[in-house]
Order: sequence, then structure tokens, then C-alpha cells
Amino acid sequence: MNCQELIRYLSDYIDRSLSDELHAEAQQHLATCHNCHVVLDTTRQTIYLYRQSGRQAIPAEHRAELFARLQQSLAARKDSAS
Amino acid sequence: MPSTNSPPGISLDALRSGDPQALAALFEAYADRIYRLALSLLHDPSAAEDIVQETFVSAITHLDRFEGRSSLGTWLYRVGYNASLDWLRRRKDEPLPPDEPGDESDAVPLPRSLVEWTLTPESRQAEGEMAAELDRAIGELSEGLRLVFLLRDVDELSTQETAEALGLTEGAVKVRLHRARLALREKLSDYFAERTPQEGEAA
Repeated sequence: MNCQELIRYLSDYIDRSLSDELHAEAQQHLATCHNCHVVLDTTRQTIYLYRQSGRQAIPAEHRAELFARLQQSLAARKDSAS
Repeated sequence: MPSTNSPPGISLDALRSGDPQALAALFEAYADRIYRLALSLLHDPSAAEDIVQETFVSAITHLDRFEGRSSLGTWLYRVGYNASLDWLRRRKDEPLPPDEPGDESDAVPLPRSLVEWTLTPESRQAEGEMAAELDRAIGELSEGLRLVFLLRDVDELSTQETAEALGLTEGAVKVRLHRARLALREKLSDYFAERTPQEGEAA
């Protein structure tokens, strides 16, 4: 496997969705190619960083109110349906 | 990888009968996910909260239309995604996300930055600055790439679930995810490489 192929399969390699044969070829290439190893490592870090910090949530001060609004809205629909 | 297939403790029958605990459990499990999805498309926190409300009302009142072919969670994403697109359509000044070109080709540009970076204790201290940098980088992605990255890598949906939620083929999800990861890596490289001591430099 050369660098170009490695980069093409990089996401599949990270997600462990390559065939055993291709996975082994990728591993072999990564063991000897510093540049591709850097790309793999920094791509993994990129995913990790967003997984850690990218989980934006509903602001805490709005959460209860939003749920209350939802309950009211569903109750109103139920009343009008019955 | 956590699956969205069977939200723990949430039964469809309980939701249909209006059980408040089932509703609370569903809200707990999915409200933030739908909020992130909507925020990523609308860039408006208050509108994103409205989308959450609309998504849950629509999903609960149309539970009979849920056929169980996909998971309940994936279906909620789909309802939320469609509600977000409707919101954009109503706001004429907000253009709909353009179609993503080249889903059928898996070609990606070769990486440009080949510098190592690691998160040092110092970079962790500058968390506010780092968060702004992450926001900037993901904000520069096209919507088509950003949504796939969000669902696959942040929310950890499977390829199949992401495809169902966004109405894409699994092939397109894989191509977009790959492009998004490599583009983000490239965008973050300058920032982190500058903050990583390189070989031969004093640490």
C-alpha cells in the first residue's frame, strides 16, 4: 500500500471497517511511513477533541422550561383531540 | 459504540399513552442531540430550542407513523433535520444548504500538513481558546460535511443511522465523513503544531 491509498482508506482504518487483508496492509505501511503515521495520529486527535468538546447542550437555564413547554403543548393537543 | 436503537427504558406504548416518565426519558436522551443538529444548521440558539420543541411534539403526535424500520432515535433525528430545513425554507434570507458535490467519488486531497501535534498540559489550560479554534474550524466546513461529522463522530451514530437520519446513502456518509475529518485535521494543524514542541526544540 502506498501513501495515497493509505489516505484513501484512513477513515475506514480508524473505524476498523477494512477487510483483514487491507487492514494488515495499512498497518504495514504505517509502521514504516512517518508522514502517514502523523496524519493518522492527528486525525484521531481531531475526532477525540470534537467528541470531548463538541457536545453542545441546551443551556441549563432553558432546559426545564423547554420540557414544560413540550408537556403543555402535548397536553393541549390531547385535550383538543378528545 | 453506543447504539441509538433501543433507548433504555423507553417504550413506544408508554409514549403513546402519554406516560410523563417515558416522555422525560426520551427528552433526556435526545433533546441535546436534536438541539446540536438544529444549531449546526440554523446558527441560532433560540430557534434551535424551538426546533427541539417542534421535533418532539411532531414525533409524539405522529408516533403511529413510526414504523419501526429505523430506531426511534434515528427517526427523531430525521424529524429534527426536516424541521430545521423547513425553518430555513420559511426564512427566505437563509439559503438551504447546497447539495454536496462529488459524493460518488471517494477522492480526497492528499494531506498538506505533516507536522505532529499533541495536546500538552499548556494547551489544555487554554481551553477557551481551543474551543474557539474548534468552532472556527468546523464552522468553515460545508453544511453537508459538518452534519455528517456531527452525527458520526460527535454523537457516535453508525453509518447506517446517519444515512437514515439525513436521507443519504451509506456510501455518501462515508465519503463525507472522510472528507470532513481530513479537512478538520488540516484546519487544526497550524494551531496545534504551533503549540507542540517539535524535535530539536527545547520543550
